[in-house]
This record gives sequence, C-alpha cells and structure tokens, in this order.
Amino acid sequence: MRRASLTGLAALLLLGLLLYPLEGTGYGVRLMLQLFMWIALAQSWNLISGLTGYVSFGHVAFYGTGAYATGIVITKLGWPWLAAALLGGLMAAVVALVIGWPCLRLKGPYFAIAMLGLNEVLRVAASYFEGLTGGGLGLSLPTLHASVPIYYAMGLTAAGVTLLAYVILTSRFGLRLMTIREDEVAAEAMGIDTFRYKLYAFLLSAVGPGIVGGLSARDQGYIEPISVFPLLMTITMIVMALFGGKGTIWGPVLGAVLLFAFQEVVWARFIYLHQLLFGAIIVTVVLVMPRGILGVLQQKYNLPRTI
Amino acid sequence: MSLVITPAMLGQVIVSGLLAGSLYAMVALGLGLIFGVMRVLNVAHGPLLMLGAYVTFWLFSTVGLNPYLSLLVSMPLLYLLGMLLQRFLVYRVVDAPELSSLLLTFGVSIAVVNLAQLAFTSDLRAVEYLTGAFVLGPIAFSKSRLIACAIAVAITAAAFLFLQKTRLGKAIRAVSQSREVAQVCGINVGRIHGIAFGLASALAAAGGSLVAVMVAIQPEMGQVYTFKSFLVIVLGGAGNYPGALLGGVLLGLIEQLSSLFLTTQVNEAVAYILLVVVLLVRPTGLLGGRAS
Repeated sequence: MRRASLTGLAALLLLGLLLYPLEGTGYGVRLMLQLFMWIALAQSWNLISGLTGYVSFGHVAFYGTGAYATGIVITKLGWPWLAAALLGGLMAAVVALVIGWPCLRLKGPYFAIAMLGLNEVLRVAASYFEGLTGGGLGLSLPTLHASVPIYYAMGLTAAGVTLLAYVILTSRFGLRLMTIREDEVAAEAMGIDTFRYKLYAFLLSAVGPGIVGGLSARDQGYIEPISVFPLLMTITMIVMALFGGKGTIWGPVLGAVLLFAFQEVVWARFIYLHQLLFGAIIVTVVLVMPRGILGVLQQKYNLPRTI
Repeated sequence: MSLVITPAMLGQVIVSGLLAGSLYAMVALGLGLIFGVMRVLNVAHGPLLMLGAYVTFWLFSTVGLNPYLSLLVSMPLLYLLGMLLQRFLVYRVVDAPELSSLLLTFGVSIAVVNLAQLAFTSDLRAVEYLTGAFVLGPIAFSKSRLIACAIAVAITAAAFLFLQKTRLGKAIRAVSQSREVAQVCGINVGRIHGIAFGLASALAAAGGSLVAVMVAIQPEMGQVYTFKSFLVIVLGGAGNYPGALLGGVLLGLIEQLSSLFLTTQVNEAVAYILLVVVLLVRPTGLLGGRAS
C-alpha cells in the first residue's frame, strides 16, 4: 500500500515535470533546467565519491570539458546540439580515463589534490589554445532558442544518472565499490580488482557532468574558461550530495532540491554576503551532519541501504 | 617560433626560479606541517596568506611601517588566528576522511575572502616600496625578490631549527609520526595541533607580507598559493618536511623554465603534468611521504 502510493506520487510528479514547459514561464523553465543540472552533477559526484570514498575535488573539470567539446563542435563543425552534448559526455569520460588511470592508484589525499589540479590545468589549457577555444575571450555559440528541448534533455540526464545510481547501488558492482570505501585493503584481500572498479565508477561519474556541461553551454550560448571551470561549482555539488546523504540513491537529489531552493529564495537577497553564507552552510553541514539527511534517517530508522 | 636560448637567459631563469621557489617552499612548509601533524588538507592556506599581505599593506599605508618589519606584526597575528581556527573549527575534522577537512577549510576560505572583500573592497592595492634590480653581469636580481628570498630562507631555516632542536619542535614531529605514542609519552596532542596550525598560518602570513611588495594585493590573491602549495607538498612527499623545501624550489624552477620555453600562462599546467608523472613513478612524492 505504502509502496503503491509512493509510486503514484512519483508518477504524478513526473507527469507534472513533463507538462511543465507547456504552462511554465521562460524563467520557470530555465530555473527547473538549472535544478536538473544540479541533480545530475551532485548525483554524478556521488557515483565516484559517495560510493568509493575517493574524493573528486575537481569534478567540475568534466562539466567544463563537456561544455568546451560541445561548444567547439557546434561552432566549428556545425553539429546539432544534442549530438554535440553527447560528445561532451564522451570527451569527459576520455579525460577521466587519462587522469583516472594514473591517479586512482593513489591512496589518501593525493587523488583529491590531483583532481583539484586537473580543474586548474584545464582552465589554463582552455585559455591557452586560443584557435580552438577562443581563449580568454570565450566562445559564442550561434543563437538558438531551445530552452524547452534542453529542459527535457537536462531532465532526462538527471533521471538517467539517478537511474544509474540505482542500478549500481543495487548491483554487485555497487557492493564492490562500497567495500572499497569501507576498507580497500580488505576489498583487495577478498579478490576485488579495486583499481578496475574505481576506474569504471570514475568513468561513469564523468559522463553526466560532460553532457550537462554541453547542454548548459548550448543553453547559455556563451562559454569562457572562468565560467565553466569554477571550483565553487565542484564544492556546490559536493555539499548538495553531502547534505542529502552521500552514498544513497535519493540523497543527492534531495540535497540538490533543498539547497537549490534555499539558494533561490534566501541567497538571492544577500548578494554581498553570498559567499560568507555559503561558507557557513558548508561548515555546518560538515560539522553537524556529515552523513546527510538520508544518512541520519537510515541509521535512526534502520532504513534499507538502497534509498 | 624560433628562439635562441643563451646561457645568460638560462642563468637568469634559474636565479628567478630559485628566488620564487624559496618563497613557495616557506609557504608550503606551513601547509605540509598541518597535513603532517593532523592529516588536514587546509584549503584556507592561501586566504591566510592574503590576510598577511593586507596586514603589511595597511601598516605601510597608514603608519608607514617598513613592509619587512611588518612581518613582526603579521606573523603573530596570523599565528593567533590560526590557533583560534584550530581550536574552534579544525579540531573537529582531525582524522576525519579528507573530504571533511577539504570542505570545512574551503568553507572557511570563501568566508575569509568574502569578509576581506567587504572590509577591504576588491580594489587592487600595492605596497610601493622597493623597485628595481641589482645587476650582476648578465643577470638581474629584482631587489624585492632577493630580499624576500633571503627572509624566506631565514624563516624556513628557523622553522627547521625549531622542529629539530627544541622540545616543542620535537613534540610536533613526534605527533606527526604517531599521535598515540606521542600521547603516551605525555605530549598534549591538542595543544600541539593548535601550535602547529598557528605556526603554519604564521608561515603563510610571512609569505603574504613578502609578496605584498611584489604583486597586486586583492582578496582573491591567495587561492593560487593554495594550489601551488598543494603541488609543492605532493611533489616533495606529503608529510615530509624537507620534501616541502625540495618541492618548492622545484616548482619555482619549473615555472620559470616553462615560461622561457613556452609561455607564462602554462607554467601551472607544466608543474601539474610533472606532478602526475611524479605520482606515477613515486606515488609518495620525491622524498617519500605518507598515505593518509
């Protein structure tokens, strides 16, 4: 009974989101589009860091990679935006392979620092290769009013990544990843090829941000190195995942919705204190509820691992 | 693009690299100290450096204090601030997974930068004190950088002497080797943590006061030093203090060499690629560090 009503509620919500662009204002559609983006980003970060415990402290690197790959093939080769965004996802996975292959062998804080560095370096590279990326001036995409199709594409990406999280968390693959998180040495002793599974998780976690980066680039119509590689974006997706509950299926979604709503309602009023408030939120989340909302509920009410 | 590189140019680059590297080494030693002693990755290290630079700027522009003497103010002030940060916030994430310390210190970092923007505005400030250079044969030594290097070397040497010879320094090294054993030996670990964070902040402040004479001062000037310090400690081996020195000098040299052969824009990228290569060949850094 409880399950049936939950399913009904979800179906209703889904229907509402599907029909929303017919009724909603342009502003509303853009707002929802951004929410989808954050859900996809937080959930993607969750795939590598929530499940394996390896902190990707520069996940926005994949977002930026996707944005640039998309921007370049649209402006130089005239690709349609959907194909271009998918290519963005692929390119992000390629970058993840190049960086993950050496760095995922490292234990401890090295991976986090390497990811932080990757983001800085890609930003530098984006301003350096001017012929391809437009350098510091950025890249302007041809005008296209396609907020509604992008809304659906973004929503589909968010749903896809969440579905992926569900599939992984309920599979043997997910169990292996969580074993690595809890005790990597023990995981190795049990015969898990830890490096291989970490790399798989990392590649999967890069695709979503790549596609999302491509879609955002198309939606905004303009990209520049600073706007697509901000460290703050990495932190925002981490805090969303953490706030909702990392390592769960619905935690990142919940965290993204709550923080995004909070951001729109409260922060927008305090432009000058924006960063200070965000800093306070980060500190509070880390100190008070590092397990996140769902993590706390899970523990308290003995909820299943797969929520 | 054909470019002839003369021995003089190479000599100039090596000198500039060593001058810059000594500063990096000093600042990164602070970051390495925090990581070594409490396994905390302090993203707020750069913003603390920025505060040090502002102390120098304000003392210089209001009472005309010599920027190099302002070290005597900026270092104790930041020592105090660092200790307070440790006492009230950072102690909670000691031994927590690195995600907690990274996020917590990032939160502190953006809050500090935001406060600096509110208090000091985002205007670019400069301390116009020493300009020009000594010229020795074909090689020029920027005066401000030369003095900064000398002071950085002196402070770094003092820090090492302190760590090697004094009881307190030995206690700090003991805690970074094994907290439990240190505790059993009667060392007050909490106090050591506070002192280590304070010292590290003072080193960052010294860096800030020294660069205040050379670069534009603004609230976001510190972040780049956070990144560089991370590079340095990983290059040298995280938790390995002499490694931080080697890494710092290396970073200075790499940056200068890459600006000679490529452009200044890419020197961070070159340093990063080197970092990845080092991690591949020696996962614990050049001099060997510790996993978490």
